[in-house]
Amino acid sequence: MRQLLKGNYAAAEGARLCRVKVISAYPITPQTSIVERLSEICASGELDAKFIKVESEHSAMATLVGASSAGVRTFTATSSNGLLLMHEVLHWVAGARLPIVMTNVNRAVSGGWNIWADQTDSISQRDTGWLQIYCESSQEVLDSVIMAYRLAEKILMPVMLTYDAFFLSHTTEVVDVPDIERVDEFLPPYRPDFKLDIDNPRMFGGLISPDYFYEHRYTVHKASLEALNYYPEVCREFKDVFGREYDVTEEYRIDDAELVVVTAGTITSVARITVDKMREAGKKIGLMKLRVFRPAPVDLWRNVLGNVAKVVVIDRNLSPGLGGVFADEIQAALYPLETRPLIYPVVAGLGGRDVTPADIEGIINHALSSDDPAGAPLFWGLKQ
Amino acid sequence: MERTTQKMIEIPRDVMAGEELWQPGVLSCQGCGASLALKLALKGLGRRTVVVIPACCMSIIVGSYPYSASQVPLLHVPFETAAAAASGIRAALDVREEKDVVVMAWAGDGGTFDIGLQALSGAAERNDDILYVCYDNEAYMNTGIQRSGATPAGAWTTTTPGEAIKEEPKKDIEKIMLSHGIPYMATASVAYPADIYTKFRKARSIKGTKFIHMLSPCPPGWQIDSADSIKVSRMATQSKVFPIYEVEDGRYTINVYPERKVTVKDYVKPQGRFRYMTDDIISAAQELVDRKWENLTGMANFKAP
Amino acid sequence: MAVKKRSDLSKPYDFKTWHDITPMNISAGTMLHNKTGSWRTIKPVFEDKMPACQNACPAGNDIEGWIKLLQQGEYEKAYWHLKREEPFPSILGRVCFRFCEEACNRVSLDDHVSISALERFIGDRGAQSAPHPDLPEYNGKSMAVVGSGPAGMSAAYYGRLLGFRVAIFEKLQVMGGVLRVGIPEYRLPRKIITAEFEGLKAMGIELKPGTAIGKDISLEELRGRYDYIFLATGAHGNRKLNMEGEDKSRRIMSGLEMLRKVALGEEVEFGSNVAVIGGGNTAIDVARTALRMGSSVTVIYRRSENEMPANPEEVMEAREEGVEFRFLAAPERVELNDDGSIRKLICCEMELGPADESGRKRPVKKDGALFDVKTDSILTAIGEVPVLDYLKGIAGTEKDMVAVNDTLMVNTEGNGKIFAGGDIIDIPRTVVNAVASGKKAAIAIDCDYRGTDFGDVVKKISIGNGPALSFSTYMNWKPAVPRNIHLVVDSEKIVYDYFEKSPRVMQKTGDAKTRKSSFNAYSETFTEDDAQQEASRCMHCGRCIECDNCLIFCPDMSVLPKGDGHFGYEFDYDYCKGCGICFTECPRHAITMVREEEGDK
Repeated sequence: MRQLLKGNYAAAEGARLCRVKVISAYPITPQTSIVERLSEICASGELDAKFIKVESEHSAMATLVGASSAGVRTFTATSSNGLLLMHEVLHWVAGARLPIVMTNVNRAVSGGWNIWADQTDSISQRDTGWLQIYCESSQEVLDSVIMAYRLAEKILMPVMLTYDAFFLSHTTEVVDVPDIERVDEFLPPYRPDFKLDIDNPRMFGGLISPDYFYEHRYTVHKASLEALNYYPEVCREFKDVFGREYDVTEEYRIDDAELVVVTAGTITSVARITVDKMREAGKKIGLMKLRVFRPAPVDLWRNVLGNVAKVVVIDRNLSPGLGGVFADEIQAALYPLETRPLIYPVVAGLGGRDVTPADIEGIINHALSSDDPAGAPLFWGLKQ
Repeated sequence: MERTTQKMIEIPRDVMAGEELWQPGVLSCQGCGASLALKLALKGLGRRTVVVIPACCMSIIVGSYPYSASQVPLLHVPFETAAAAASGIRAALDVREEKDVVVMAWAGDGGTFDIGLQALSGAAERNDDILYVCYDNEAYMNTGIQRSGATPAGAWTTTTPGEAIKEEPKKDIEKIMLSHGIPYMATASVAYPADIYTKFRKARSIKGTKFIHMLSPCPPGWQIDSADSIKVSRMATQSKVFPIYEVEDGRYTINVYPERKVTVKDYVKPQGRFRYMTDDIISAAQELVDRKWENLTGMANFKAP
Repeated sequence: MAVKKRSDLSKPYDFKTWHDITPMNISAGTMLHNKTGSWRTIKPVFEDKMPACQNACPAGNDIEGWIKLLQQGEYEKAYWHLKREEPFPSILGRVCFRFCEEACNRVSLDDHVSISALERFIGDRGAQSAPHPDLPEYNGKSMAVVGSGPAGMSAAYYGRLLGFRVAIFEKLQVMGGVLRVGIPEYRLPRKIITAEFEGLKAMGIELKPGTAIGKDISLEELRGRYDYIFLATGAHGNRKLNMEGEDKSRRIMSGLEMLRKVALGEEVEFGSNVAVIGGGNTAIDVARTALRMGSSVTVIYRRSENEMPANPEEVMEAREEGVEFRFLAAPERVELNDDGSIRKLICCEMELGPADESGRKRPVKKDGALFDVKTDSILTAIGEVPVLDYLKGIAGTEKDMVAVNDTLMVNTEGNGKIFAGGDIIDIPRTVVNAVASGKKAAIAIDCDYRGTDFGDVVKKISIGNGPALSFSTYMNWKPAVPRNIHLVVDSEKIVYDYFEKSPRVMQKTGDAKTRKSSFNAYSETFTEDDAQQEASRCMHCGRCIECDNCLIFCPDMSVLPKGDGHFGYEFDYDYCKGCGICFTECPRHAITMVREEEGDK
């Protein structure tokens, strides 16, 4: 059924459709409407779940460590500082191979408050082992939650879905909300092989000595990589059932592009419009939407970008002392190739600074007009 | 067993010699109060129990991967999250409609008084149906005897060395927990095993947040002979430094009335960690202990006019 | 034992590659393979030890052992168990000095256990005439016991249990020695003594009353007829006051002689206002006997009440009955009438000076502090001496007593080795010491017969700090568990925190008026209820009673009940870390910590 939904409500609807059983969350702008919506539907019984209203995000994730280990489907949502507060537990969840799904509203990190769109929060969690998928639209958010549970519960790894603060969380779109019965066919109930069980009493976790720990970490790494095999399958099946198509990365007008713009999040929508406009003007521009960030789809990136002359990577994030992280990882991924594109790392839109079609066009023109991305990254829009 | 004037520890023999939910081979030090405490707790709780353990001595004691000394399901969790994780397990078990399973968080004093206090307070405020046990050895023992909020005033630790022994009094975790209005708060000690057995059996049937503060002797940390582990703990209660009582829905009951007169000085004397306590500090401590005992007995015996 | 080894239940996980990392890092096994016993440097062992009561008893009475049987309702088993170390419970249960009660570890808690009263209960219930369960065949050698007091009775009893053919010679027409003629009827009824001798007869011991050595039969003749002789003629001679006029009146009599005459039903003459000189149990016996004969009595003692050697309970009962006491006074001289009756007794006040060799303050006359005592009869009870005329020419004496070596052998030449014991040798003058000395002599005689070294034997069978000897250990009679008879559990080793105070049950004793009106025994043996109640106060020092403390307190689950009806526990040394908690929390010190031997893990 088609509804007008904000990004946050789409996330809540996704959780409802997946029949999550235990939710544990703490409010933080701009995620609050997710928890509000979930509170409503839990209270009304529309969603048959326990919602534990914890006293911090650290406890929110820790509560799900307990609940998920006890073998039920769990969900939470947070943003920026909340996500950071969970940091220790995020590592734990991945190491413990718990299939928790979380939506993170990409908001700037503090030391100086800022509540607007910025990807640095989730980017700074890239080493935790959580799978990360960057969403562009409310529809994508809802659909991605459903697919995330299929993925997570199969490979036993946690999945984080991110989307931009306010630009997506608080803007309304038309969203096709599937019937829950259709979702039930696609997503069976969670039945783990192992859980906290009186009839099969096991210890979960524990001190892993140097004799075992390396191998244990290796299994976590392997599990993450497994997503690259399994996720396309999930996406294909999703298309069959619901008619909408997604993938690990998405290309737009790539085939003969001389320059490819790489974006993640809502900037992708803006970039798409710009690509069309520039194509009309005869420029051979293409777009790669960076969707799955973890595991790093290195082979895919190489395939898509390897033979392109120029690649512009737009980061709505900044690792101080390094630069934008997407650009950094893509550069590293393409390094081993014999022929590599010229890569133009661009940082833009931090802390909710708007990135307009004119900005994108300017960035692309800048890349087109120079043969040397010297002084990288380019801080587009910086007042200097 | 013939008639005797011995104060027999009333735990039935078939329970003590029965199913071993806590098995030997554990990595505890000689004379460890924590290992004994968990053994006794599980005797009272039985096999329908799930245990949550944050970072503390018990994380190591229970055994290293992939081995476990516990015959009940056990979940390791990060340091400050025992109460939160326990709440999550409770919610999941309720969803699964698992009947009559106790979820027990088993945390040290560090993970309760200090770093874990927030999560514990949150769970207690929500009155989540969990049993939270703080086995208190009065310092961060697992990391090598550093001071915690539970370390008593006058104690030596590696972070309160001789020239700077801890001045601040022990945090009153019992009052903190009571201030949340939880249905059950009790203290217990490995020196009184029958009381532990009774309390854990009782805890099975109480709904809501239950908190048990258990004194757990640590021979290396308290600097006592491992053989004196229980004796010194008993003196803690006899000297009223650690009274054993319970509060059920606000009603106080003192479970152990000391029969023998033991002073604070008698209690601190055999413990190396108190060797820097001057007579002044000891007298001040004795006054405080006496006053607290008066208050406690007042609460226990209070009858409205 | 029957316990399946838990370490056999463990299997180490077979880990080779990263594929073997368990799903969700779950555990794959127990910690039972981790034998933490390897951490030990000391280890606990269950070792039953000697309680303070048994250690204090000169005869080494296994008090805890028969109290345990009493508590189980096994009164007959308790009786025979008691008799192993102390053969006459009905007697000792009435007249013993009770060293055990002084030493009882319960004194530090509330009050001692009424061991003597319990012994009396067992003795009275026991079947003295039932056949002795431990009677052996005769070994072909014979023993003559001279004197039928407690030392002689004991030597005869143990001698028979060692296989000797025994005969007891007694000068008087009645058997029992000091028991019969020195201790009044109201303390020890003669029917009790008679029953004991019936028991000895039933064992095959010959009784020969009315046969005096040196008169009816000579010591030489005895030596010819018997392989071994045990002299136990006791101390029935009166120590003289050495007071002016002492021998010149019929109204000045030895207290011992008075007691003997009364006991034998003979006529004895003394007045209605009696002065008894002395402060020991004999003096009290004399006083209370005179009282019962109708006289008013004053006991005159040269030291203060604190130094009186008499049993304080007896003194109290005597007072209640109306005996007067005059302390710090000693007789100076007596003034007699022409007919030999007493005009007056003149005494001197005494004061306490420095201590003498007994450790008590020596009484010193106060100059010029003389006073009169109105009395018509003086009974002296200031000490007993052995009468040893029959030994003239055969053996020497030292300090009025028979000189013996470490094996209680008298130094003589010729056939028939002579041993001596009881009050005629230099040991404390109590009934139980006499019984112990009889037991020791029997063992010494047996060693001589077998050619074994008595000194070595004593080392093995000495109880606690000595000097008591364990006959059971000598005979290798098995108690239920091995007992270390050399390690004593005193009050420092008892954990009093584990015991409730409980008032001591007392035997019912008649009121003073009823008591003094006759020679009837005035205390009642415990009822079964009272005996069980009082026996429950025994703390079973040094001996496991399966209280479960060790099982409960072990932090390493390394104490396991033996089960299958077997008594006690065993340690699982695979895991025991030697922390010592079981040792400290055993209320009765029944566990010992021993060094881990090299290679003994």
